[in-house]
Amino acid sequence: MASNTIKPEDLQAHKKVKFLDEAKRQPFLLISSALLLIYGIIFYYIPVIGWITAFQDYKPAKGFFGSQWIGLEKFKKLFENKTFYLAFRNTLAMGVINLVFHFVTAIAFALLLNEVRIFIAKKFIQTVSYMPHFLSWIIVTAIVREVLSADGIVNEFLMNVCGNETAIDFFAVKGYFWWIVAFTNVWKETGWNAIIYLAAITAIDPSLYEAADMDGASRFQKMWYITLPSLRPTIMILLLINIGNVLNAGFELQYILGNDVISDVSKILDVFILDWGISQFDFSLGTAAGIFKSVIALILVCLGNFIAKKTGDERLF
Amino acid sequence: MKKTKIAAVALASLMSVSAMAGCTKTPGATTGTAASGETSGAAPAQVKEFSAFFAVPATTEINKDNEIQKIITEKIGAKCNETWLAGQQASEAVGVFIASGEYPDFINGGDAMKALYEAGALIAWDDYIDKYPNIKEFFSDYEWSQFRQSDGKIYWMNPFENIYGADKTTTQNGEAFWIQARVLEWAKYPKIETLDDYFKVLEEYNAANPTTHDGKKNIPYTMLCEDWRYFCLENAPQFLDGYPNDGSCMVDVNTKKIMDYNTTPTAKRYFKKLNEEYQKGVVDTGAFTQTYDEYISKLSTGVVLGMCDQWWDFAYTVNDVFKTQDTEKYGYNYIPLGLTIDKGMENQWYTSGGTLNVSSGIAITKDCKDVEGAFKFINDLLSQEIHDLRFWGVKDVDYKVDENGLYYRTEEQRKNAADPNYKTKHLCTYSYFPQWSGTSRDGKNAMMPAEQPSEFKDSLPEPVKKVFEAYGANTYIDILGSVNKAGPWYPMYSYSNNMKTDTAGGTAWTKMGECKHAWLPKVVMAKDFDKTWDEYMKAYAACKPEDFVAEMQQELDKRIAAYEAATKK
Amino acid sequence: MKLKKYGPGDIIFEVFLIIFMVIFLAVTLYPIINTLALSFNDGFDALVHKVHFIPHSPTLDNYKAVFAKEGYRFGAVNTVLRTLFGTLISLVVNAILAYVISRKRFLFKKSFSLFWVITMYVNGGLIPTYITFQKLHLINNFLVYIIPGAVSAFNMLVIRNYMNGIPESLEESAQIDGAGYFKIFYSIISPLCKPVYATIALFVAVYQWNAWFDAMLYNKMRDNLTVLQYELMKQLQTAMKSAGSVEGLKNGGTTITPNSIRAAATILTMLPIICIYPFLQRYFVTGLTIGGVKE
Repeated sequence: MASNTIKPEDLQAHKKVKFLDEAKRQPFLLISSALLLIYGIIFYYIPVIGWITAFQDYKPAKGFFGSQWIGLEKFKKLFENKTFYLAFRNTLAMGVINLVFHFVTAIAFALLLNEVRIFIAKKFIQTVSYMPHFLSWIIVTAIVREVLSADGIVNEFLMNVCGNETAIDFFAVKGYFWWIVAFTNVWKETGWNAIIYLAAITAIDPSLYEAADMDGASRFQKMWYITLPSLRPTIMILLLINIGNVLNAGFELQYILGNDVISDVSKILDVFILDWGISQFDFSLGTAAGIFKSVIALILVCLGNFIAKKTGDERLF
Repeated sequence: MKKTKIAAVALASLMSVSAMAGCTKTPGATTGTAASGETSGAAPAQVKEFSAFFAVPATTEINKDNEIQKIITEKIGAKCNETWLAGQQASEAVGVFIASGEYPDFINGGDAMKALYEAGALIAWDDYIDKYPNIKEFFSDYEWSQFRQSDGKIYWMNPFENIYGADKTTTQNGEAFWIQARVLEWAKYPKIETLDDYFKVLEEYNAANPTTHDGKKNIPYTMLCEDWRYFCLENAPQFLDGYPNDGSCMVDVNTKKIMDYNTTPTAKRYFKKLNEEYQKGVVDTGAFTQTYDEYISKLSTGVVLGMCDQWWDFAYTVNDVFKTQDTEKYGYNYIPLGLTIDKGMENQWYTSGGTLNVSSGIAITKDCKDVEGAFKFINDLLSQEIHDLRFWGVKDVDYKVDENGLYYRTEEQRKNAADPNYKTKHLCTYSYFPQWSGTSRDGKNAMMPAEQPSEFKDSLPEPVKKVFEAYGANTYIDILGSVNKAGPWYPMYSYSNNMKTDTAGGTAWTKMGECKHAWLPKVVMAKDFDKTWDEYMKAYAACKPEDFVAEMQQELDKRIAAYEAATKK
Repeated sequence: MKLKKYGPGDIIFEVFLIIFMVIFLAVTLYPIINTLALSFNDGFDALVHKVHFIPHSPTLDNYKAVFAKEGYRFGAVNTVLRTLFGTLISLVVNAILAYVISRKRFLFKKSFSLFWVITMYVNGGLIPTYITFQKLHLINNFLVYIIPGAVSAFNMLVIRNYMNGIPESLEESAQIDGAGYFKIFYSIISPLCKPVYATIALFVAVYQWNAWFDAMLYNKMRDNLTVLQYELMKQLQTAMKSAGSVEGLKNGGTTITPNSIRAAATILTMLPIICIYPFLQRYFVTGLTIGGVKE
């Protein structure tokens, strides 16, 4: 009876043999991954030593090991500041809104563009669509302010067509700001973000469409039931990556478009770090805030990855 | 199959080359292709080359083959390659220099100057100053002593706002309530002394003349509140009370005590007035949300009748627009007014005799291999011949000399001097190295062209000339009627500029700033002014301004003691 | 056979599509045309008169002003070089990394993936990174444009995702034929990954073309190592709030850089990369397909 059961030691040994056996079969994978590991450690992981400065009163002159240790004082300073919570809320809100808009618009645009059948038009629209990506934020903000100004196109439209009595000062109303930021992002990046999906659409097996044609599916149905589901792995991967970036809700846009009247909703974490950390020669505070952001990002990503595992979707790791 | 893949990859890169071919063939680019970055040192051996970093954004970046730089280099045997702050905070750039332990020869750390000193990055000047007469004469002993750091040594000198000989200042370079010449002309050049007078004349003019020459609706009063430029809104109370621009506080001349201008009755009256005018529609409703660009654009169209601002913040661009668009004749140019809160007070909007800001300046670092050479370089730049080259340019090319030895410029030369292309190719001011204003060592000319009386008068538009005549003034300063009672401690902002959150006073200072940014717009726009003002005062008190005042008081006492010590000797 | 080609639903869909695309084009083209018009307009004039589609006071001065700065000449050379080499190296390295990680039998698949995913969300900050680069002699060095950013977890994940879609049977049959992992990568997987390679090449090229932060941080003391976008940035920054050095403004007597010069600089820097795009475009718009290889 003993001969039928596998002892744990055997399993261990078996695994070891299998491991070595497998290792011999993949020298290219192992060597290239080893080189890339070294590269990753040097360029991504060694600088993280800098995180220790969050627990110090870091002075550049004294270096990482000569500065005075102060424990969690910088974190305390961070969490005691009311502006920090305001900035955190705003960053999170704009991050989430941007995330949703980013995905919905890019996917919708890619799907619709894919349905344009005149080849020249398709090429032209796509070329135009990603052009705003190349405009710098300074130019973009100037245009946004122009369009939304008292005598800009939007106000002209509202007054002449919708019958508004007076022009709306869009940058003086707290309720509008997040949406202005979201729309500006959509306007600038939709075409660019769609590129990945357009590339993924090329990989869809045409026989699927042919089969659908046989069944008499309409174009909308084909788009909805074939193209969109085929994009699912790509969407999932990008979603997982971007969930970790919700706290990186941009900087220039909020910084340039924000003003004192709406600072309650326009101030974001990076501006807070600039005001209270970098400008004050307090690099430790900035590092502490950076650690806070990284930890939240990693928690979100792990959570997302876990859910993806449960639903059987594409995962990051 | 393989080949097409490689071709596809290479295509992207190749295209970018061919697309840029037009640029790559230009001369000078050949050195750029040597990516190792070690190619620029081929100059003759005797020419000393220094490097400099200025933790401030460039006003003009000059080209490598700049003509006047070449002339200066030939004359003094040394040159300096300047690098400016761009896309980064001063403290960040300086922090990186300190952390890396490598410095350029010259450095100006801006707001982060103290950190450089604390890091031991700078050379002490004390043993060198006496050897270089032009440097030595730049400051009096007391002035030099103000630069002394905690170890008693001098590490930098501020290059700006220092007057040689007779003061030749013609423009109010600082702050004022400004009013368009057309308003004054219409009102028959009245005496405008107080805030009430000022708004009254703006309102009356606007009622009688609601538009500009091309039918645009006037904006009687606007103010810029963007970021650090909100001084246009917040610091007027100090002037209205008759104090000079200490920037962050007022100093009682008699009791030698620091006073906070944010909470005075005058401050309340000033903001109440703005509130009233806002409710009346006299103050621009877009004032609080406009950006600097939009503000400048607004002023440029001539619609704004008045505002409170510093000259350098608007005049260089706006006056140029009026000139090129030929709208000067409509009287759009701005005239400064020395307002006070009540009639019959003296004002100090303008403080004569230059302003010594000891918080930053040009320093020489420990990495400089030729310290004597670096001092000689500064010394040479201050000699009259080189100074003239820096600011006037080349004789007969950039300016002419009349039979009395007075310098003047033709219209074309004036245009050249304002042309950005000409500035990068031809002019070399070494703008962050020490420089004089006031009178040239020849006793006749001005150190700076803008202060040459003939230059100033000739460039004035007709409506402004008429204003000068009406008020019996020769300069903008005369119109202000300022007196100067600023003490030896002036300006106190040279201390508060360097305050950081590592002290209680610095933390309070940062919080006060945040609080004012958040509340002042509310105060001005409030339907119920008094209630909002009280709420603002409560929020302001919570920032602990007393901590800030206490730290400023310490500094004030220190400066007074230092002054007394220096003058007793 | 294709009887239902134009059913009523299809017509509604078609009309909707056309309307959508027309609006989309209008909204997207406006800023571009506006920037173009502004770049040909006199700077001072633009402060007074609004420019929409046609220059109000036409001039070429803005372009002349941009070209007068020698920084742009150095910048152009360096930008082209870094785009060229940066794209090439980055594509190869990311493709290899993605290939390694996407292999089902790779022994450290999970941990190595995690290793790279973390790099997307964790960074040591400005000063530690600078000191690391300093120790590697990457400061004041052209290579700092190419080496540190060569591997990017994001690009790797996009390629990996695409490779995951390629049927395993291809790899297995090649292995039976005795092909090693490198051979499979080179001659089987890579040719099928053309669309995603084109996408990543575009991403990297655009990143390299637009990058200026590294030039500012690591090479600012070397004029001949500047890049195009950094020079552009310097012209743009007068508009940024943080540009405030009161003393400099006071004594420099500076005028703000007119929006029109910024517009000209923008057009000049975006032109080349927009010209490349149509050549890459065929890889993902024409519907090049790998359907044939699916089982």
